[in-house]
Amino acid sequence: MSATASAGPVTAPRRPSAFRMLMKDTGAAIALVFVVLIVLAAVFAPWLAPKDPYETDLMSIMSPPSADYWFGTDGQGRDIFARTLYGLQVTLFMGLTSLIIGGVLGALVGFLAAYYKRLDGLLMRFMDILLSFPAILFGLALAAIFGPGLTSVIIALSIATIPLMARIVRGAAVVVMGLDYIEAARAVGMTDKRIMLRHLAPNCLSPIFVFATLRLGQVILLGSALSFLGLGAQPPVAELGAMASQGRNFLFIAPHISVVPSIAIFAVVLAFNVLGDALRDALDPRLRI
Amino acid sequence: MTHLLEVVDIAKHYPSGKGAVKAVDGVSFTLERGETLALVGESGCGKSTTARLVLRLIERSRGTVRFNGEDITALSPGALRRFRRNAQIIFQDPYASLNPRLRVGEAIMEPMEVHGIGTPAERRKRMEELLGLVGLAPYHAARYPHEFSGGQRQRIGIARALAVQPELVVCDEPVSALDVSIQAQVVNLLKDLQARFGLSFLFIAHDLAVVKHMADRIAVMYLGRIVEVAQTNELFANPRHPYTRALLAAIPHPDPARRGHVKPLGGDLPSPLNPPPGCHFHTRCPFATEICRSQDPVATGGAHSVACHHADTLPPMGAAYEGHISEAARRRLARYAEASAARSLAG
Repeated sequence: MSATASAGPVTAPRRPSAFRMLMKDTGAAIALVFVVLIVLAAVFAPWLAPKDPYETDLMSIMSPPSADYWFGTDGQGRDIFARTLYGLQVTLFMGLTSLIIGGVLGALVGFLAAYYKRLDGLLMRFMDILLSFPAILFGLALAAIFGPGLTSVIIALSIATIPLMARIVRGAAVVVMGLDYIEAARAVGMTDKRIMLRHLAPNCLSPIFVFATLRLGQVILLGSALSFLGLGAQPPVAELGAMASQGRNFLFIAPHISVVPSIAIFAVVLAFNVLGDALRDALDPRLRI
Repeated sequence: MTHLLEVVDIAKHYPSGKGAVKAVDGVSFTLERGETLALVGESGCGKSTTARLVLRLIERSRGTVRFNGEDITALSPGALRRFRRNAQIIFQDPYASLNPRLRVGEAIMEPMEVHGIGTPAERRKRMEELLGLVGLAPYHAARYPHEFSGGQRQRIGIARALAVQPELVVCDEPVSALDVSIQAQVVNLLKDLQARFGLSFLFIAHDLAVVKHMADRIAVMYLGRIVEVAQTNELFANPRHPYTRALLAAIPHPDPARRGHVKPLGGDLPSPLNPPPGCHFHTRCPFATEICRSQDPVATGGAHSVACHHADTLPPMGAAYEGHISEAARRRLARYAEASAARSLAG
């Protein structure tokens, strides 16, 4: 705590905004710029891609990177640069969708468990059960039931995200529930819904944002892994994990087919992890580990 | 005319491993309109729990709370909401009592909104009046709580409590987290507002100087029970319960010769999980006899009621307890009075 020496009316010194704190961290700034570029590349893939990602050029199968094909071509002679851009789109869509579904449901469970203490034990034990299954297992089970595909992967990743988000949210919400302004809200006679939406949830946002950012990287990695195993995106859809999988037979004669999408996955996951860590420091310095 | 608030034999027991923690164990008192009743006692004696039972923020284990003659422990959800409009609370910690994400103006208007009082424009006008009442300006409404000091936040909390025009305000240690100079400000503000709106205060405190300045009557609590209730001056001049005497004597006096002959209490507060049988205070009472260990004392004595088997036979206290209010406390009382006089002159 540092006291401001300035004269005049006494007000608490204003905390620098989270964004400014974030920008002070060079690594985080780079990660943020990179994340923005990735998202833009994915969104504008149709305009950025120099070629059709599904167009096969049988004359130049497995050709190495060249002026014509920047990242080379794959086993069917498709442009890997174009496929990587479209792959980012599919991978990010898969990651964000499952994060939003799992995150919203998980947050709901967490808030309810913190607010209604009698539900706490039941809900959180159920979350513990979910937590004991690895995400890959959900993926396998869903692929067995519904057949492999993006939908199965998204559902599996959503289910795997629910208990993690529920725990984070419950932890934050239990702390806020103990504060006087929640009691003040009850003393005024507000409805439970109003207290939860207006007083509880807005004060739990920081850990939610941090976790969501970190989790997005994990979810992308898991989703790519499921696709690599052949449970996710099916050919000919361009998805980074599936692309890496398709190139593994040619690893010695044309390594770029697997290496390019793998580097893309690595870079995306690393960027989200660095950003998430920095966000944690910026939003709440007390959480720094 | 009925009492504004009548609490009869209220109790709160928290189930625990072996038995129950008796946080509040059979407390009864009344509060009149426009009156301030102070609840004093050491930490853990059940003051705050009693306050929350009165507001029905927690459910009681036993007993009744009547507000304007109506038993609030049996209210339907709708009736409870109407009661909440008449009874509000001010908290101890000004840093935890305001939602950091709500602008001050929103925080003060929200109670009116919840109870459907006025139109949005009327609520805004009323909010600005309330800010003025507690010494803030309308432009403060657009600011967030972190932009204010502890004393200012406490006054914002007071404005929020008054927004629904309650009859009863529970003040849960409203000044104990503040600096002495700010305490005077807030204590005098509360007194002014009480005179202006005819508020009744249930004032929880452990600071006897503040209590002496604020309260009309004082109830002393020990281990979940009220041991003595009296008018403020009467209690300070003539404390009858051995615990009250010890509490007053515990205020340090700079002159050892004038410390009086009451020994400071030994030992700790017994666990409310397993309170001693009979009079709860007998484990630390210098006057305890056989009857104290077996039988619960009954409060006797009307306006100055005391729950002690030996209240009538205790040795008189000799030195008036005024003498035991330390110089520091005396200076603070003088400062409160000064600040109050200065306010009324200025106003």
